Amino acid sequence: MPEFTPPQVQLAGVAPEITLLVSALILLIVDTLIGERPNRWFLPVMATAGLVLAGAFAASTWGDNELQLSGAIALDGFASFVKISLAVFGLLTVWVGRDYLVRDALEDSEFYALVLLAVAGMMLMAAAADLIIMFLALETFSIALYVLVAFKSGSLTSQESAMKYFLLGAFSSAFFLLGIALTYGAVGSTALYGGRDPVSEPGIASFLSTSPTANTGLLVLATGFLIIGLGFKIAAVPFHAWTPDAYQGAPSPITGFMAAGTKFAAFAAILRLFDATLFSLRAEWRPLVIAIAVATMIIGSVLAVVQDDIKRLLAYSSIAHAGFILTAVIAANDRGVSGALFYLATYGLAVLGAFAVVSVVSGQDEARVRLAGYKGLFFDHPALAVALTLFLLSLAGVPVTAGFFGKLVVFGAAVQASYSWVVAIGVITSAIAAFFYLKIMVRMYLEESEGESSPLPIGRLAAGVIAITAVATIGFGVVPGPLLRAAEDATMFFQPAPETGQAPLGG
Amino acid sequence: MTLSAYLPILLLIIISTIFAVASIFVSSKLAPSRWTFAKRLPYECGIVPEQSDERERFPVKFYLVAMLFIIFDIETVFLYPWAVVYQELAVFGLIEMVVFIVILLAAYVYVWRRGGLEWAE
Amino acid sequence: MNDLPFLDLTLFLPLVGALVMVLIPKRWEALLRLAALVVTTATFVASLGVLASFESGTPGFQQVTELSWIPEWGIGYITGVDGVSLWMIMLTTFLMPLCILTSWTIKTQVKPYFILLLTLETGMLGVFSSLDMFLFYVFWEAVLVPMYFLIGMWGHGRRVYAAMKFFLFTLAGSLFMLLSILYLYFASQGSAAAPTFDYRSLVGTPLALEVQILLFLGFFASFAVKVPLVPLHTWLPDAHTEAPTAGSVMLAAVLLKMGAYGLIRFGIAFFPDAARLLAPAIIALAIVGILYGALIAIVQHDVKRLVAYSSVAHLGFVVLGLFVGTIQGMSGGILQMLNHGLSTGALFLLVGALYDRRHTREISEFGGLARSVPVLAGIFLIVVLSSLGLPGLNGFAGEFLVLLATYQSYGWWVIPATFGIVLAAIYLLWAYQRVFHGAVSIEANRNLEDFRMREYVMFVPLVALIVAIGVYPKPFLERIEPSAKQIVRQLNDASVIPETRGLAEAP
Repeated sequence: MPEFTPPQVQLAGVAPEITLLVSALILLIVDTLIGERPNRWFLPVMATAGLVLAGAFAASTWGDNELQLSGAIALDGFASFVKISLAVFGLLTVWVGRDYLVRDALEDSEFYALVLLAVAGMMLMAAAADLIIMFLALETFSIALYVLVAFKSGSLTSQESAMKYFLLGAFSSAFFLLGIALTYGAVGSTALYGGRDPVSEPGIASFLSTSPTANTGLLVLATGFLIIGLGFKIAAVPFHAWTPDAYQGAPSPITGFMAAGTKFAAFAAILRLFDATLFSLRAEWRPLVIAIAVATMIIGSVLAVVQDDIKRLLAYSSIAHAGFILTAVIAANDRGVSGALFYLATYGLAVLGAFAVVSVVSGQDEARVRLAGYKGLFFDHPALAVALTLFLLSLAGVPVTAGFFGKLVVFGAAVQASYSWVVAIGVITSAIAAFFYLKIMVRMYLEESEGESSPLPIGRLAAGVIAITAVATIGFGVVPGPLLRAAEDATMFFQPAPETGQAPLGG
Repeated sequence: MTLSAYLPILLLIIISTIFAVASIFVSSKLAPSRWTFAKRLPYECGIVPEQSDERERFPVKFYLVAMLFIIFDIETVFLYPWAVVYQELAVFGLIEMVVFIVILLAAYVYVWRRGGLEWAE
Repeated sequence: MNDLPFLDLTLFLPLVGALVMVLIPKRWEALLRLAALVVTTATFVASLGVLASFESGTPGFQQVTELSWIPEWGIGYITGVDGVSLWMIMLTTFLMPLCILTSWTIKTQVKPYFILLLTLETGMLGVFSSLDMFLFYVFWEAVLVPMYFLIGMWGHGRRVYAAMKFFLFTLAGSLFMLLSILYLYFASQGSAAAPTFDYRSLVGTPLALEVQILLFLGFFASFAVKVPLVPLHTWLPDAHTEAPTAGSVMLAAVLLKMGAYGLIRFGIAFFPDAARLLAPAIIALAIVGILYGALIAIVQHDVKRLVAYSSVAHLGFVVLGLFVGTIQGMSGGILQMLNHGLSTGALFLLVGALYDRRHTREISEFGGLARSVPVLAGIFLIVVLSSLGLPGLNGFAGEFLVLLATYQSYGWWVIPATFGIVLAAIYLLWAYQRVFHGAVSIEANRNLEDFRMREYVMFVPLVALIVAIGVYPKPFLERIEPSAKQIVRQLNDASVIPETRGLAEAP
């Protein structure tokens, strides 16, 4: 029996995740020990503290470049960027959620704990350097989200959404697992990078770099299954069927969180997997991803046009956006990765802001989510209408908003990689997409409100979140430099020591 | 590594499928089948099943208890292998196990305080 | 004189004014109107500074400001003027105070109205002064949003439809331009060290002919919608007719010029070979536009719609002049851009004045107005005559030069174009006759108020300028000509097809 040597315990890489898990546990325990109280202000405060601390841990490792925990966790700029963004998304969700829960008398410690756990899972997704860890992360945030979607406990639509989301989600997880199994069959490991010696320390990257003549057929097959699993999470066509239902039924703050966070986490995994690890197999996976991207852009934009529920509309718009970001994945160059990161960060802020407005406007029990409910919003609540307009313009990619610059960098990356024709489709679908964003604006500005204008109670936290996201949407539109620089620094994926001579990124 | 290495697995899948289908088919043909009333009753642990309504509803608490049991049962299952290699793992193993148990303890406190273990309202 | 950055001052004064006006409470409508007037007048004064420091006789850009904006992407804040943009900027700043004055009759939502008008002014000025493609695109799109709201919120009748159509047509076109800009951006990588959006560096980027044609069409999609060239003009009659008076003036006088300006500044300069190749086709489209616009204008029974279709015809002349390939044509076309801005702007203002008095635009509702409003009728006649190109008024110089140039280069093609002028005389004079002469058939027309002080202030400078250009066009032409010469040289002689084919195939 060989001597047991305990593995090196390096927690720097997973410090943010651990912080979040511990905060979630403490939050639950404290709440159960304190018992019922009319105003549980300490819940959002604790959640905020946990997220801020997690974000700080993520920021403190900025610039590191190493693998930890036996090569399972990557500690690189990419992971840090995603983790910090996710912490911000989590904070905004918690704040909007607090007002929402209080209004609908749904507040419970589980909401905050589950948001923290979901963020932890998403963060782990970005840092995972092993497919098993990636799967673990995927399941962690997915299960948390299944419950959060069903959080409107009295609402049948909420339950139905959660059920659909869960069943289809479990289905896609199975595909992802199958992909992992096939990868293991091909490579002999589930590690993304592996060591310098492909025999003793196998990994996908080292397998591809050291045995270029090896039969990659099985790995290509595995890649296909991995795309299915991750494509589900980013809501890419044809794995998008759950999106409108889940987005519609979930509490609005959670819908925003799903659009911003899930997409970011899953794309982080896609970027690391395809644009870094499987870069040399790009000739094989590109056609598949292109097909998915084109279908996603077209179906998302076209189907959004006929929606008359704002949450469903934004759900289809999120599908279209997944397609736009996929064009950056196709590009598989530095600009593509930084562009996708920039896009995801700014898209997340805009969509969180939009759903913050939606959760305020929808009122008690989300009774007002039809587009008709937005008639004349500008005349009754000008600030809300102007903020929502800003977010919609950003989603539509109109200049001076962050969304425009995001679209520019993402499309630019694809043009650079000589995929102008994919961008041409993106451009056409963007024009279609502008139509349905305009539809909402028409309701808000150009039509009179129906009947009495009921006063909308706007919580201070929700108002704050709307203000923050609005300022950020304009700010990153006018001065995208700092965020773009950060995103460009973040394109430094973990690189196995340079001697192996394998550049993770080309182009 | 080539795909041909997986040929045995493929063969195994085919053989096992044929065997399963064949044995069910053959036994259904060869076995004597003499139906009696008692044989056709649904079997339920020696209890004569309720005739009035087959779709009887169970309290959801059954499932809750079952799930909680499984979660905390796994704790015990994990303790066994740790106990076997306790000497080798030494302090490292102790710390790991304490972390594990603390997390489960938190869960336990949570379940307990939220009334998950109480049967009656 | 050069010490003050007049151009940038002109550019941002309206925006700063708009931001200040956000702080004024919306009840103080008089103050809001006054503030808008003061800001636009100050902008005009600042633009006089640009005019005064402009050195005539040099073709290049003057008063260039260059600041770094997003260095990661080679994006800078670069502005400057040349002989082409100078008059467009002057036209914009000159007409804007008049638009504010004509908007005195706006009674609903006064605050957002004036804020949007001021934002629109910055956008339009930015389009004409940007020397960075990114900056240009930002301003180009920034024009879209305020105009959408101006049409949609303060327009007449089918305003929602018109606003939507305007937005979608323009956005769809400009997205193709964005794609072309991106391609050009990456193509510039070869000639310069790093890719850049700087207009001056992008001119002369080597491109194969096929690529040039595709990119030219990308730009053309955007500009041809704006100009508009038949068959992309269908948004124009709707938008012009339904917009409030100030919106119609800005649409006709400035927004349409953005298209023509873009064609020469970018279409010809970037892709001279493609422009040369496609010039006959564009000229054919222009002539079709001249005849089509004029013929449709004849049968209109709505004065505003009639003026709108006359714009289609007049812009046909502009495009004709720009592409015939002689210095007279180019100068005439550019001068005609200015002339059309003044004449059609004045026509829309007059139609607005009629509408304010009678709340109708149907020609049949008028008749015999010359008796009740003699001054208005007199001014209307002068403007109509200027619009149809009577010698001695501004319209003549431009159209004459264009026709002369067309005859020189294209011979008999001039015949249909000349026919356009005859048609213009028919529809304009016929409409004039029906509105102002004949018997007063409707009682409401008998006792109408003639010009008020505010309207004298609006029309006296306008008419003075119309006469001034007609009598003495030299100061205008001598500033246009050097730049026009340069553009003609680009159109006729320049080539950017690389010596060895395939060099610029892939950026």
